Amino acid sequence: MTKKLLHKTLRAYLIFSVIVLLISAPLFYFMIEKLYIEDADEALFLRKNEFIKYTVPNVKEADIPIWNKMNRDIKIEPTTPSVSALKDTVFYRHFYDTLYQENEPYRILNAPVTIDGQPYTFSARINLVETDDLIQSITGLFAFILLFLLVGLYFITKRLSIHLWKPFYKTLDTIEQFEIDKAIVTNFSKTDIEEFERLNQAISKLIQKNTAIYNSQREFIENAAHELQTPLAVFQAHIDMLMQHADVTQGQSDILTNLNTAISRLNKLNKNLLLLSKIERNQYVSRENVSINTIFDKQSTFFIEQAEAKNIVVSIELQEEVTLKCNPILAEILISNLFLNAIQHNIYNGYIQIKLSKQSLTFSNTGIKHPLSKKQLFQRFSKINSSSQGNGLGLSIIKKIVDTNGWAINYQYLNDVHHFEIRF
Amino acid sequence: MKILIIEDEQVLAESIKSYFKANDVLCEIAHTIEQSLDKIGIYEYDCILLDLMLPDGNGFDILSELKKQGKTEGVIIISAKETLETRIEGFNLGADDYLTKPFHLSELLVRIQALVRRKNFKGNNSIEFNELEIDVLAKSVSVKGKKIDVTKKEIDLLLYLIGNKNRVLSKSAIAEHLSGDMADMLDNHDFVYAHIKNLKKKLSEAGCDDYIKTVYGLGYKWQND
Repeated sequence: MTKKLLHKTLRAYLIFSVIVLLISAPLFYFMIEKLYIEDADEALFLRKNEFIKYTVPNVKEADIPIWNKMNRDIKIEPTTPSVSALKDTVFYRHFYDTLYQENEPYRILNAPVTIDGQPYTFSARINLVETDDLIQSITGLFAFILLFLLVGLYFITKRLSIHLWKPFYKTLDTIEQFEIDKAIVTNFSKTDIEEFERLNQAISKLIQKNTAIYNSQREFIENAAHELQTPLAVFQAHIDMLMQHADVTQGQSDILTNLNTAISRLNKLNKNLLLLSKIERNQYVSRENVSINTIFDKQSTFFIEQAEAKNIVVSIELQEEVTLKCNPILAEILISNLFLNAIQHNIYNGYIQIKLSKQSLTFSNTGIKHPLSKKQLFQRFSKINSSSQGNGLGLSIIKKIVDTNGWAINYQYLNDVHHFEIRF
Repeated sequence: MKILIIEDEQVLAESIKSYFKANDVLCEIAHTIEQSLDKIGIYEYDCILLDLMLPDGNGFDILSELKKQGKTEGVIIISAKETLETRIEGFNLGADDYLTKPFHLSELLVRIQALVRRKNFKGNNSIEFNELEIDVLAKSVSVKGKKIDVTKKEIDLLLYLIGNKNRVLSKSAIAEHLSGDMADMLDNHDFVYAHIKNLKKKLSEAGCDDYIKTVYGLGYKWQND
């Protein structure tokens, strides 16, 4: 499955940002906590130093209970084996807060002090922010950053894709519209992005080159076909003359008949090649309202007569009056080629069924007992069976006309019958 | 009947000339515009066959010149090139018919005959052959003065056969003639046999001699023994 360039880059950005945030959030938490604890410890030591420096010289032993009463967070306790502090120790402890009815974390410093020559323990504490609260606020902050980043990235990439990639999409549109057999001038708009400008130049060079080659080939086919007409005329005239000789033997007359058949085929082939290149050169562009029913009226007698030679039954069902906006000559050629195709590739005692409605025209005919290769069907000179008289151009002419008019042709093989359906 | 063939392909011009000779059509040949204009200035022709691509210019120039001189000769363009534009330009400049190469000589001959008949039309337009009479305008055929029932196609076939009398006509030439615009769509020439058979039957029933001869392996021929 293909995705838009925007989505691909956006996805990469998103994944990267999520990873970065996921890694950085805990790191951030530990860093903050470490700094915070260090700061708390520093404050505790500062209090201790201040106490030793300013308070200890003025305090009497008797003042201690009052001190303890007055100070909530600094206590002086007699050193007992349970609260022994031979050196400064820092630790955590939770105290129950009766006011808020929850455990509050505290950082506590116990340090030995000497008051009036007696050993005492100095104990200072600082209320800490609850870990839960810290994690919560960090998560919240990071979630906000993440959201902000994603929305920002999405809009920036979108904007970039629209603005930066605009010339690229324009080029893409132009290439998509390009068809070598149609005289559409491809114009790439100028862009100030070097890479796109290079792309445009490379593609227009490619198109120019290919169009030139295509045109010269088409011209070659047309010229060759035209140039063949005169020698063919000479050839035909001489065969006509040769036939007039009274002393033609049976063997010679067989040769003449074969020559006649060959020249007739050559002639048709040439005409069809010319027709194809004329359609390609947009010689039949004028459009008018064409009644398909009228074309059938005009052509059916001829083709039914042709079909009779193979004992083929033709049934034509013109369900409604159909008028299409198209070139009248091409419409006639289309229907006569469909008729011819259905007769040529039919079997003796077969049948042809034609149905016309406002939506579609279907030719169904009996023929060889296996489906035709859809891939080769409409290619020039792709002969389905070598013995057939066709020149392998009929179906490509049909396809070309169908394409020129923006219709669609569909081939199906159902129950030993070949169906060609043209949808208008 | 006298016609002028303007065609730079000498071999083709010669074979047209020799084919037509036996059917009472005299041909003169010109290979260039210059030669053609000389001849047109001096002689009167019943019909002119005109190739468009000539060594010293375009055949259309001759058409313009004919118009300028007020000449009324019928002109049939015989060209290898056929586009809608050249066809329309040809007809606009006064050409009467357009035949694309290659063609059967027999086809060219009946086209000339039809054109000359149209041009020389003086009230009646009929062709007689012994006891047979064809009224081209009324599209009717009578044998010994009695009308017979024939289809349009059969009259067409009859005109074609009589127009090419004493000439062997191949099945493919007849088939292409009868098919007209649809000739390129021909798959099979067998239907010619059916038409010939029907025509022969109708003519003989009316008491007409059998002029349509089968030439073994080649085709048919209209011949008065």
